[in-house]
Amino acid sequence: MYRYDAIDREFLADRSAEFRENVVRRLAGEITEDQFKPLRLMNGLYLQLHAYMLRVAVPYGSLDSRQLRRLAHIARVYDKGYGHFTTRQNIQYNWIRLGQAPDILDALAAVDMHAIQTSGNCIRNVTADPYAGATAEEIDDPRVWSELIRQWSTLHPEFSFLPRKFKIAVTAAAKDRTAAKVHDIGLVLRRGRDGTLGFEVIVGGGQGRTPYVGPSIAEHLPAGRLLSYLEAILRVYNRHGRRDNKYKARIKVLVAALGAEAFKREVDEEWSKLDPALADAPDTELARIRGAFTPLAFETLPARSEAFETARAADPAFARFARNNVKAHKKSGYAIVEISLKAPGQTPGDASADQMDVVADLAERYGLDDIRVTHEQNLVLPHVKLDDLPTVFAALQAAGLATPNIGLISDIIACPGLDYCALANARAIPIAQSIARRFEDQDRAELVGELKIKISGCINACGHHHVGNIGILGVDKKGEEFYQLSLGGSGQEDASIGKILGPGVTAEQVPDAIEALVDTYLAVRQGEERFLDTVRRVGFAPFKEAVYADAH
Amino acid sequence: MRAITANRLIDGEVVFWKQGAWIERFADAQFFADDDAAGEAAVEAALAQSTVVVEPYLIDLVEAPGGWAPVSYRERLRALGPTNEPTHGKQAEGGAGVEALLAATGAARSTGRVDLIRRK
Repeated sequence: MYRYDAIDREFLADRSAEFRENVVRRLAGEITEDQFKPLRLMNGLYLQLHAYMLRVAVPYGSLDSRQLRRLAHIARVYDKGYGHFTTRQNIQYNWIRLGQAPDILDALAAVDMHAIQTSGNCIRNVTADPYAGATAEEIDDPRVWSELIRQWSTLHPEFSFLPRKFKIAVTAAAKDRTAAKVHDIGLVLRRGRDGTLGFEVIVGGGQGRTPYVGPSIAEHLPAGRLLSYLEAILRVYNRHGRRDNKYKARIKVLVAALGAEAFKREVDEEWSKLDPALADAPDTELARIRGAFTPLAFETLPARSEAFETARAADPAFARFARNNVKAHKKSGYAIVEISLKAPGQTPGDASADQMDVVADLAERYGLDDIRVTHEQNLVLPHVKLDDLPTVFAALQAAGLATPNIGLISDIIACPGLDYCALANARAIPIAQSIARRFEDQDRAELVGELKIKISGCINACGHHHVGNIGILGVDKKGEEFYQLSLGGSGQEDASIGKILGPGVTAEQVPDAIEALVDTYLAVRQGEERFLDTVRRVGFAPFKEAVYADAH
Repeated sequence: MRAITANRLIDGEVVFWKQGAWIERFADAQFFADDDAAGEAAVEAALAQSTVVVEPYLIDLVEAPGGWAPVSYRERLRALGPTNEPTHGKQAEGGAGVEALLAATGAARSTGRVDLIRRK
């Protein structure tokens, strides 16, 4: 885990004090709301429907128990006892008071956390594979590179006022758990034939009102040249990105307008002007950062754990949890444990302060003090001994955190929607809840297998509906909530943008429509095909027929 | 009928205009007839209270079974709280005012909100 140094801590303390002063000035009328708004947004503080919302950065989704306990403390003292984990691996609080926000920033700074660059037209929190440092699939630890980008992009003077917000994802595994291809920049770390580390650089992906799967503009960028290449991309974007129209200001619009080839030429030309000695991180700095993520104190353990096998044989609930939420670890005798924040009826991504404390305790006792947030709004204990899994499972179960549905139909991404968000046109959370309740039967959910449903309450697509196997977009049709269904999207390595199935349906009709889609899939799927594979093979016709049958 | 709403600066709480002051319950809000210029005049006065509230605007009301309610679903939701957490927000208090809002139907865009977006 990366630790702040004295300079970082001093900076955060100053920044917090500065914000406190700005709040005082705003309350006293010395500055107007128009002057204050950008200042609060630069500290992650939005004004939503019912209160202020504070978005706290969780760099590359990585936390230790001390930090998670502090997040729980903030939820308890300054909010209504819960927090909401987001698709940028951050946490948001929904009921914040402006008067208390400076105290919260102080409380965060005390555990090396902040809310800087969680809003505004700057480089946002870098997301990374939540299994980093734990999965055998990775060829290097993406946190090292994410931390490098974090340091480089934090308060970068040239890139603090970009045409629009900018999001970077880093993965080093073939299986993409970061939605890299629908980011402004997606970085996929690979080892070349010559053994060198390099990045595939994907630029101009995105969702929102104009979704794109980003094209690749570099196949194998030497890893050591990462920062200069990012600088070249950002510089081209900063120069040519549209500032006249907010809806055309993201880099994806620029890349699409120029074409990937022309954009790449611009970047390469800019890149050629940069001096590696000045623009790239020195090896010593990389080594220093890498040192912060040194291999943890793993024990040498046999691959087979009697405690695990015995529990699995004796307890079907544990066996189900192990099937769905426990993933292979690079070290024998260890496992990656996914903690679902999608219990039926729960708000996707929400965790109570008590639940956060439970996870922090488990991480400290059984998980080498490491916790991750996934972009699918779940938590992860990346390093748990197989021997400890039955104990961890029991503790999670007692806290309502053992829902065995990772990657299944009820593991739904949903944005806050009209229940909280000032931009939303329709609610997203109740739709997720109604679908999760409909598919509460775990046997059936496992029979259906991998099926990613993603719900957004407006076209900004914070709920990633464009890349849902089933995407659901809430729209405002003459003032009423309607839901547009799309099929065939994927945010993974086989990324694609879903296409609209047909006319929108009402909130009440959504669960029936999903059921019709699932039944159709089960009827026509071949072998081990996932829902997505079936849609890609057979096309929309049978699905359309099933959902709109009654309408004919 | 119309009412004036805003978020309170210090804590973001949804508030409604009543004779120059701000109150938390929609049921206690002051209503203005659609053709009553006093509504616009009150918004002007509300805008001047910039250290008390953020972005005051007029909302349209509709006559519902339990009395007047915001015509827009969004505004009813602001006056109640999030539907996924019935114990959070103003709805937690319960009572006739909350019941009336919950019973109200009729959905339209928040006209005041649209004006606000247009102004920006």
